[in-house]
This record gives sequence, structure tokens and C-alpha cells, in this order.
Amino acid sequence: MSSEQKMMAGPGKRSNTVLPAWWLVFLKEVTELWIGGKALALVFIYTVFLGVVTFVIASNGELRLTPPKEMVYEAIKNVITVSLLIGLIISADSLSGERERNTLEALLLTSASRRQIIVGKFLAAITVWPVAFVIAMPTVKLLSQGDAIFGPGILWGAIVGTVLVLGYVGLGMLVSYWSNSNRTSYFVSMGIYTLILIPAQLPGEAQTGVMGQLLQWMNPLAAVNQFLLNILVHSFNFSEHIVWLEAPVAYAILILGILFMYAAPGLRLEEGRGSRLWIRFSRAIGLGMIVTAIFIIGTSPALALQTWTDPDQPVQISVNMEAKTVKASDSIFFDTVVTNTAAEPSPMILVAMNIINLEHEGEAIDPEDWSPERTQSIDSLAAGQSATLSWRVNAILDGEVLIYMVAIPQPEGQHVISHPIASRGIHLTVTPFTKLSPMGVLPVAMGGPLLLLLIIYFVSLSRNQNVDMGGSL
Amino acid sequence: MVQRKGPNVLSSNEILVAQDLRKSYGQRLALQGLTFTLHAGRVLGFLGPNGAGKTTSIRILTTMMKPDAGHFVVDGIKSKHAEQIRRKIGVLPENLGFPRQMTAFEYLLYFGQLYGQTAADTTAIALKLLNDVGLHQRRNSLIGSYSHGMKQRLGIARALINDPLVVFLDEPTLGLDPRGQQELLELIKNMSRERGAGVVLCSHMLSEIESVCDDVVILSAGQMVARGTVAEVIDRTQQNIVMRNGLRVQVPTTYLARAIQILRVIPSIMKVSPIGAMEGWLRLEIIEPGHGNAEVGYQINNGILSALIRAKIPILNFEVEGGRLQDVFMHLTEEAIT
Repeated sequence: MSSEQKMMAGPGKRSNTVLPAWWLVFLKEVTELWIGGKALALVFIYTVFLGVVTFVIASNGELRLTPPKEMVYEAIKNVITVSLLIGLIISADSLSGERERNTLEALLLTSASRRQIIVGKFLAAITVWPVAFVIAMPTVKLLSQGDAIFGPGILWGAIVGTVLVLGYVGLGMLVSYWSNSNRTSYFVSMGIYTLILIPAQLPGEAQTGVMGQLLQWMNPLAAVNQFLLNILVHSFNFSEHIVWLEAPVAYAILILGILFMYAAPGLRLEEGRGSRLWIRFSRAIGLGMIVTAIFIIGTSPALALQTWTDPDQPVQISVNMEAKTVKASDSIFFDTVVTNTAAEPSPMILVAMNIINLEHEGEAIDPEDWSPERTQSIDSLAAGQSATLSWRVNAILDGEVLIYMVAIPQPEGQHVISHPIASRGIHLTVTPFTKLSPMGVLPVAMGGPLLLLLIIYFVSLSRNQNVDMGGSL
Repeated sequence: MVQRKGPNVLSSNEILVAQDLRKSYGQRLALQGLTFTLHAGRVLGFLGPNGAGKTTSIRILTTMMKPDAGHFVVDGIKSKHAEQIRRKIGVLPENLGFPRQMTAFEYLLYFGQLYGQTAADTTAIALKLLNDVGLHQRRNSLIGSYSHGMKQRLGIARALINDPLVVFLDEPTLGLDPRGQQELLELIKNMSRERGAGVVLCSHMLSEIESVCDDVVILSAGQMVARGTVAEVIDRTQQNIVMRNGLRVQVPTTYLARAIQILRVIPSIMKVSPIGAMEGWLRLEIIEPGHGNAEVGYQINNGILSALIRAKIPILNFEVEGGRLQDVFMHLTEEAIT
């Protein structure tokens, strides 16, 4: 039944009611977004992305024995991050797109208030968030592996995600409000998104210290990630870590305040207030943000980790393996021989295992994940005496790694130094682990996009039945 | 056409009164004192070359832009009450965009409800309007499948969905074929005649303004150079043009040489020359056509016609140069620029 037929079927309660303008704009925008519009296309891409991410998290989880809490945290973090991007793409088009398509004037010529128009468009733009979150629920459930973390994960994910989405969508609309073209609007919005995203993705080492913590607290996305990490992974008390939500909430209130109280009543056919000056200014901001972001990555202290050794010592250490190729999840076994080459007995010697990822500029791998014994000790060695220690390493992740052992003679007293001695490295080539459906995640990972395709098909079919698809007269 | 409620009369049946509207963009004066009155049931033509200030005027009068000075009143509502004024006006902007995924009926239903009407009321009005603009058969087609002409007609229907007292149409026939133009002009005439609405028609097509409009305002470089009924404006300007120019006469091409021979011997004609691009047309330059005395001018015209008739030369057309709106427009806009 077409909308006209529905209206003509009889003056029901709804058809005799004057509907508020924000609701009409909301309905129209939602229809445009979700029936043949960009929201459906973006959510489809999102489900594909979610499937891939879920598969990767599940694979890593099986290999690294990642606890369900961490997997749930990672999944929710990714869901929020991508949902924010979709919300921003939709909202950045909301006003500048209408200007570009010459459809805004007709809307502004009606007697509907500007604020109601903005409210309707805003509500339509945030509809993508609940949809994206609901789509993610089965995968989060799967990754939680029956752990009780699922409930809190969904609860806190929904709360903090909503706070962020409100702020981001409001921000996108503000940028769109001040832009005359979608190109400008997208450029500025994506610049801001990147600027906020990159610091939030940096490793923890980059965010230590008072300044690091402050920057993390000020960055809404990083703060939310930290909050989720503390609550979901470390199981900290909510009340002690609510401080991490202060910035995202303040940010959302500020953005929405500007949007609805200041900008909305002044919505007009031309962009914002400054026209060409604003366009140049906004482009400069976008470019500046991207350059700044690249600078932040390049100078991150987390990427500047280095090692130091001094080989000139009376204790020698050797290993009985040079290079080996194994598959991820395989175990290798080797021995180290520690020899006291000095003329006198050695103090107690500690032997520690170190693993370096050769593919990531020497990034250190925590041996705890790879081996049951991270360190072993030898009480003392007589002059010329040797001792053999056996080691086991589980190849967890694929790639090129170097394993080397360090012998550390125990210092003989306070204020006495000791020089660790490193062995030759074992070059381990770990080939990928292949498992078709880790944790049985594949049906969900692939099912989401397929289900959405079916929904798109039936929605289109239903729409086509209601309209006459004939060509122009 | 849908009958609407009568206007809140300002004085007699004035429904739009603009008083000394001014607007500038930086140093450039876009509008310098626009003053005019629109009466119910009349069509006002808004003329002017590119950059004359037409779009600025329409934007101000439709509340899309605020004037720097001056004011206007629509049906007794002052220009500062923009939202109330928008309830009283309907607008077809130039280059109006349409949502491709909506049907014409849905489109009108949406806009009708945005004006505060119920869905049931809007449905009835929308169906009537779709019928009036000839889109009833295609009301459930997606707008994306419409031709340009169909979109223009839908745009007019949208402009009428709130039963407006004043309708602004900015270049409504732009891009339409001759038949489409004619149908649209008929629609505009009916709009004012049957609905009693006042129509402000912006167009570059002088012939359509002349055929449809009752009144005309001519703008040039932001200044209003003429205002009044079409006949008044032509008449007022005509005398100046006649002083400088002359007459045009069209005869069958076989009589052209004979006509030139006859006309050249008439003392009041200074020069006779064929108009190259127009077959059978001759342009006559008149010596001292009355010095502003219309009566003398008429007698000269009659004398020329009598001479041709006596020589048994068929006269297909005869017109005083400057007697068309196009002549007036060219003269006035040229004068304002120089």
C-alpha cells in the first residue's frame, strides 16, 4: 500500500494530527538514509569490517590465550570507533549536502523552525549508532565465551558509545553548518576525527606521565578507551574511574549546546557566517590537524624503545640453535650453556629470555606470553665451569622474531654494578596459524553482512512495490 | 484550483508592499531602494539583466535574507516576523533540487505537513495540486525518474501546498520546451485568476512576462528603473524611444522593392532599410516624429499606412518601435548602465 493509499484509507488518529516539524524531518531523513541511502551502505561496510575484526580478535585470542575480557574490550572499542566514523560521515553531509543539492532552500522556506529542522536531522544521523551496536552484539557475545563480562561490556559500551556519538554527530553537523560544500565538510570532519583517533590508538608507553595522562583525559576517544579498559579488563570500580568520562560528557554537552542553542536558530541558505574566509580557515585547520597527527605518530616515545648490552665480560653464554622456521602455535626447545671463563667462582647468575619482533623495528615481545620460563638462575659457577639450561618457546604470532638470552651476574653488594651478557640470537620464522573458524566466529562474522544484504534486498523490493518505477514522460 | 481564504487586506487588495529595500555585499550595492506593491489576483513581472538584483530581491522578500534597510509587509505581517510570512508565501526558487528517492505525492505530503497541516488535509490538497499541474498519473513515481519539466511542475505544486497568498516564481520556464513553457504560463495565469493569489514572476523571457504579467518592475544594476502596469511602463518609455527610432513594417517579399519605392518618397521618412534577419520587414526612420506630441506621431503612422494601401501593397505587420516590452527593457537597462 502506497503512502497515498494509507492516507486515503481513512483519517486515522495519526492522519488528523499535526505532527511536529522535527519529527517530520526525522522521518524523512531516516527514510532517505536507510532506504537506498548511504546509512545502509555504510552499515554494510561496517558489518564486513566487524566480521574481519572479530575473526582477527578470535584468532589472536586462541593463539595468545587472550582472556575474554580483553577480547570484549577490543571488540567494543572497535565498534565505537567505526560507528563514530559513520556518524560523522552522515552528519557532515546533513546541511552542506543539502546546500550542494539545492534542496535546503525548499526546507528553509517552510514555516518550520530552524531548530526543529536541526533536531530532526540530528536524530536521524544518530540512528546509525543503535543499529551498529545491535549488529555488534552477537560478535561481542561470542568473544565473551560465556564470561560474565558480556553484560557490563554491552552496558558500558552503550553508555559511553552514546555519549561519544552525540558529540561526534553534533560536531559533524556543526562543520556541515559552516561549510558550503561536502568536500570542505568531509575534509574538516575527517581531519578532526583523525586528530582525535591517532593519539587514542597509541600504545600506553606514549601516554605515561602527568602530561600524557592529561592528554589522554582530554581526548574523548582515548579517555573512553581508558575507562573501558579499567572497568572491563582490570575490573576496577566504576566510581574511581568516572573521571575518564568527564571530558567525553563535557565535550558532548559543549558541542550540542553550540549546535542547538547558537547555530540552529541561524541556519540559512549560505554556509555559517564567514563564507570564503571560513572555507580557507577550515581547510587550513584540517590540513594542520593531519600534519599534527602525523607528527605525533612520528615522535611517539612508544616507538623509540631501544636495547643496550656490553659483551666484554668473564661469563659467556651460548645457545644451541641458530635459525628455525616453525608454524604459529608450534613449540621449540633449545639449551643455553653458561660458562664461567674467569679464574675465580662466579656469583649467582640469572639468565633471562628476550624476544624481539624483527618486523616492527625491534618491538619487544613479552616472553611471558611465549614461554613458561622467562628467567632461570644458576647458583654459582666455579672457574671454567659450565651449566646448561633448557628452554621452551611457544610460537604465538607469525612473523620474524629474534630470541636472545641474557646472563646477569648478581651484583656482589650495594653500589656494585653488574654487566649482563647477551647470547647470539635465535632467528625464528613463524608462519601463520590457519584455522578456519577460531572460536566458531566465522558464521557470525560472515552472517552479519549476508543478513544485511538480505534486509537491503527486501527493503528495496518493498519500496519498489510502493512506487511506480516508470521512466520520465 | 483550490479556493483559499481571502487576504487580510492592507489597503484595497494589496497583499505585498515593499518599501525602500536596500542590500549591499561589501562595497557593492546589490539593491538600492526597491519599492512596489502587489495586488491580489495579479501577476507582477520582475525583470532585469544578470546582476540587476532580482535574486537578492526575491531572497529578501521570501525571508531567506535580511535587508540592510527598508521593510516589506505580506498580508499585514511585517517582515521581521519571518516565520509567519513563510506561512503566507509559496516559492519556486531557481535551480530547486529534489530528493530522488521520494515520490511526488510523498514530497508534497512532507512539505504540506511542515506547514502545520494534518496528513489528511495535505493528502487532499496534494492530490488536487498534482492534478492541476498534470502529474496525477505519475504521482507515485520516484522524482529521480522525472524530466526537467515535470520537476518544474512539481516545484510549482510544492509552492502552492500551503495555499499561499503570494507566490514567487524564479525563472519557472527555464529549460522547458516551447510547449512546456506555454503550459506553465497557463498554469501561472490560472494561479492568479482562480486562486486570487498574487504572483511575482522572475524571468529573462520578456515575451512571457508581456503575455502573463499585469504589472512589471524593471531592475538594473540594483536600481528600480521602471514600475507600473505593463501598458503604463511601455507607454511611458515609448515616447523617448520613438523620438530616436521609428517604425517597422512587414510586407510580402514580392512587394518589398515596390514598398521601398513608395516609402522613400514620403517626406516624413528619413530612411528606409530592409531588416536583414527578418524576411519582408522594413525599418523606417522618421524625421521629427512630433517632438513628443503623440497626436502628430499617430498621423504620420496613418499617412505611411495609407500610402501603402493606396499602392495596393499588402501589409502583414506594422509596429511602432519601442512598443514592446523588449524595447522598453533594452532602453531602460542600457540607460541605467550608461
